[in-house]
Amino acid sequence: MSKIRGRDEHTLAGAYAMDAISAADRDRFERHLAGCQECTQEIASLREATARLGAATAVTPPAGLKERVLAAAAMTRQQAPDAAAADSPARARMRPGSWLRSLAWPGRLAVAAGAVAAVAVLGIAVVFGVANGDMRQQLDRAQASSQQVAAVLTAQDAVMMNGVVAGGGTATIVMSHSRDALVFTAQGLRALPSSAGYELWLIGPSGDRPVGMLPAGGNGMTGPVIASGLRAGDHLALTAEPAGGAVRPTTPMMLDVAV
Amino acid sequence: MEVTGGSEPGNRARQAADPDAGVGAGPDLAAQLSLVARGDAAAFDALFEQVGPSVFGTVRRVIRDPAQSEEVTQDVLLEVWRTAFKFDPARGSAMAWVMTLAHRRAVDRVRSVQKQTERELRTATAEIPYDDVIEAVETSLDRERVRRCLNSLTELQRESVTLAYYNGYTYGQVASLLGVPAGTVKTRMRDALIRLRDCLGVAE
Repeated sequence: MSKIRGRDEHTLAGAYAMDAISAADRDRFERHLAGCQECTQEIASLREATARLGAATAVTPPAGLKERVLAAAAMTRQQAPDAAAADSPARARMRPGSWLRSLAWPGRLAVAAGAVAAVAVLGIAVVFGVANGDMRQQLDRAQASSQQVAAVLTAQDAVMMNGVVAGGGTATIVMSHSRDALVFTAQGLRALPSSAGYELWLIGPSGDRPVGMLPAGGNGMTGPVIASGLRAGDHLALTAEPAGGAVRPTTPMMLDVAV
Repeated sequence: MEVTGGSEPGNRARQAADPDAGVGAGPDLAAQLSLVARGDAAAFDALFEQVGPSVFGTVRRVIRDPAQSEEVTQDVLLEVWRTAFKFDPARGSAMAWVMTLAHRRAVDRVRSVQKQTERELRTATAEIPYDDVIEAVETSLDRERVRRCLNSLTELQRESVTLAYYNGYTYGQVASLLGVPAGTVKTRMRDALIRLRDCLGVAE
């Protein structure tokens, strides 16, 4: 059709509400809607009807779909209503103060939110068509790491623990024994001088191993850091060390969690 | 029970603004959506419980292919997560907002696939499929009511709605399938939805 005018525009309301309209007609009708309050109200009311047509087909979603959606959401930055709010990260609420608590999805998502910043950077770089080689490598690494993180978070046996860090801040750990790995994030850690940093350790009967230095986080979030190769009897520990890292802990443990 | 299409605009606006107007939607779905807009993962989990079955059911009804349906369902829910702030309760129920996203995504997917391989035309049927569904009690009430209201339509209205909404055809495709002028189908679609709206809007 070449024009939408007069009575014709109203007859399209039904087809539009059911998406039974070509892309070109849809755009044209939406331009018309922008200036027609009555049509907008009619479309809204017709969509209450089409929503019921949809709801009548409700079926139980396949096993695992919800977990995949929730994990993907945890890695996906939310759009902000306006430019001023665009910088605030999509951050799930933390539940500090409860030591060693095993939680289902909401808890795990809180941890995963720590990955949001990294993934958002990834997304922005892709949007702006970053083709630079170094950047690409960094992005690949970031992506591989976020996939590892997601694998732990979405594991069937994942459990969450919260801990208070001596000196300030809280840590959240999601651990999966089936993957012998855990994901560590921290919130509100006290800032250290630039010559120092936080180092994460696995300490246990089979030896003490450095997991790595925590990356400096923005927005009060640190991590996520993945620690793999967990062994029986391991503890996860956090210490402050020289910025380059130490081979074994040299300062008192600020966090010590049996994993 | 009023089944004519003559509602006044004011009445329509009131219906659209009624948060309970969407079927299968608890009165708190809109509130949940606003928590989701603030990044509340627990609210998003609860929201999935409420809308997931309807979204997946609709998407699968349109797309058919189970793997693609899962993929599109995930896209829809992620869009809800990303853009929850766009939901405006003054412009309709939360359920309608979510289902609009879901249906459009499903249809867009089918049409983009259609461009590559011509899809086999399916037989029009006004029946809501019962074959492979696992239904919850409240959903079966919804389903029964929808079926009753679909049956209150004329045959042409019912076929137009079914082919468009459940099979994802454009009004032009519906017209050629039914051998009826496109203008007639357009009109019937609108009349049918107005009747459905009024039929479904009646309180139990």
